[in-house]
Amino acid sequence: MILKRLHPLLSSLCAFGLALAAAAPVQAQDIVLGASAQLTGPVANTGRYYRDAYQTAIDKINAAGGVKIAGKEHKLALKLYDSQSDVNLSVRQYTQLVTQDKENLLLGGFASNFQLADSVVSEKYKIPMVQGGGASNEIFTRNFKYIFGTLAPASNYFGSTVTMMKALKDGPKSVALLYADASFDVSTAAGTRSLLKAAGFNLVMDERYSSNTSDSSTLLSQVKAKNVDAVLVAGHETEILNFVRNAKSLAVAPKMYSFTVGVPSEDFRKALDKDADYAFGMTAWLPEASLKDRWFGDAAQFAAEYKAKFGYDPDYHAASGAADVEALAMALEKAGSTDPQKVRDALAASDFESLYGPIKFGANGQIDMPQLVIQVQHGQVAEVYDAKGFVKQPQYPMTAWNAR
Amino acid sequence: MDLLTQVLVNGLLLGGLYAVMALGLALVWGVLNIVNLAHGSFIMLGAYCSWHLFHSLHIDPFLGLPLTAAVMFALGYAVQRGILNLIVRAPMFNTLLLTFGLDVVLTYLAQLAFSADFRTINPGYAGRQWHWGSVVLPTMRVAAFGAALVITMGMWLFLLHTRLGRAIRATAQNLVAARLYGVEPRHLYAMTFAIGVALAGTAGGLYGTVSQINHYIGASLTLKSFAIAIIGGLDNPLGVLVGGLFLGVVESLTILYIGPTFVDVASFGILALVLIVRPTGLLGKTA
Repeated sequence: MILKRLHPLLSSLCAFGLALAAAAPVQAQDIVLGASAQLTGPVANTGRYYRDAYQTAIDKINAAGGVKIAGKEHKLALKLYDSQSDVNLSVRQYTQLVTQDKENLLLGGFASNFQLADSVVSEKYKIPMVQGGGASNEIFTRNFKYIFGTLAPASNYFGSTVTMMKALKDGPKSVALLYADASFDVSTAAGTRSLLKAAGFNLVMDERYSSNTSDSSTLLSQVKAKNVDAVLVAGHETEILNFVRNAKSLAVAPKMYSFTVGVPSEDFRKALDKDADYAFGMTAWLPEASLKDRWFGDAAQFAAEYKAKFGYDPDYHAASGAADVEALAMALEKAGSTDPQKVRDALAASDFESLYGPIKFGANGQIDMPQLVIQVQHGQVAEVYDAKGFVKQPQYPMTAWNAR
Repeated sequence: MDLLTQVLVNGLLLGGLYAVMALGLALVWGVLNIVNLAHGSFIMLGAYCSWHLFHSLHIDPFLGLPLTAAVMFALGYAVQRGILNLIVRAPMFNTLLLTFGLDVVLTYLAQLAFSADFRTINPGYAGRQWHWGSVVLPTMRVAAFGAALVITMGMWLFLLHTRLGRAIRATAQNLVAARLYGVEPRHLYAMTFAIGVALAGTAGGLYGTVSQINHYIGASLTLKSFAIAIIGGLDNPLGVLVGGLFLGVVESLTILYIGPTFVDVASFGILALVLIVRPTGLLGKTA
């Protein structure tokens, strides 16, 4: 009885549903990109760049219609796990992404020691992985075919800095090289050591420290006692912050110091305030309008959109992460398929302009880009040296702490 | 020679801070027999509290310490009465699990509340220092060290000479006898835990003045506090002070003479050695 009375209602509902389905264009299946990044834990402050960059790039590509494969427009979707800054968990999550979630395409997270382990999964299952968070040379010297990296090699992070040190008037003579015991930092130190020797610098301190070292005052006292001119540190942001704070409290002011991380990030400059001044660093990317991009227009617009969305400035990690999504999108269109092998081959042949710079992988899967030397000057990041020479006068030598 | 003196001074100043960090952990462990794995998180919360007082209300980080301590005391009392008292008589494994869970929750809540940004407590006088010959004494570190000494001595006198302090020691020694003398354990446990958390919070405030604050600092600080509490012994704040200073100096000398990669080898090597040779801690009473 009730069913009978409901019948017309039901049938009209059904008709309405059918009409809706007919009106919408045939929805092609979403293409899911799998990733694991450090959303919590000790490196969450850099890990978030990847989450935010992936989302920004995917939203932008989808807004423009998505990725066109064989005449059909597919939207991109992100399946992101939180690795809690734990390498072992990250490896398990990538294994899950490949074996259970059946994802065909992978993105990376932050830090070389993660990529080093995660890329074993992508290699084993022959699933292409594009990552913008691991620069260590170790990742790309194992003849792996499925890992692609958009950070320039760690060994050359200090390359432009060493060249600049030679070009400085009354430049530094003695150098201290301090580095953490993580993959990226060890690669960086190995490359920098030979660069420094080739350039004729006197390496008076060459110390590897434990990433758990919470206090740098002893190393700084040694820097002071040995009268070191230039200190180059490869480490994590927390160690760099500690280093600068201790340098101030112990009144240690070498002629210059430069750090592999921190200087390009807003977070670093906020935490140190005026004390961040004079710190040198490097970046392969600055949000310049000259970097043209198919989806965002250019790098400056990308930076503006990113900031509007998340409330903080992107740095090169974020740009690199966004470029990874674009590299996959481009490769998908070129391959005309989501087949991992075809996309992998298309990735290897990538050659396009992006907000991050030209994307073209070497035979080992890693990109090569020059590092610009930057320095915090009056609370702002200033580009001081590029491949062609000085851009803006560096503040050198560093002013003593009590004279600031 | 100058370098060695400077490194020793650095180590001692660092050690003082270590001592305050471990003080609360040792107290709670000694009295309640709870190894509070969330101790580092309370240090972290205290650091954020101090940071807020300094940045939002412009209260000097050292003058703000009593306020931080008060806030953390209240939090500690509530946590003990509301959560930990439920399992205080349970086997140690349960208390470890519960405090570990608490640590995870507090860490994640802190990340939600404060983001993953680093913070520092950096007053105008942070860069000053005294010079003693060629040895540099950073004002902030000396102040933090001084505060650490005052707090430790205060704790020692409190336990020796006040009614509450005596009740705490009595409970630690013999719960049944203490109850016979009219000690109400639930309140006393909560007071003890609250004092422990207040000490952790104060240590956090001091930590923020010399290092950087992030939601994650807790885990490594818990570990450090744990080592110091064992090295120094649980039944005497002075033991914890000695343990902290000792560890600070050993770490600094290890960096100078052996290499900075070996800091953990040295500190945990000493921990193992103390457990073998003097299981009650450096100043602990031997049975």
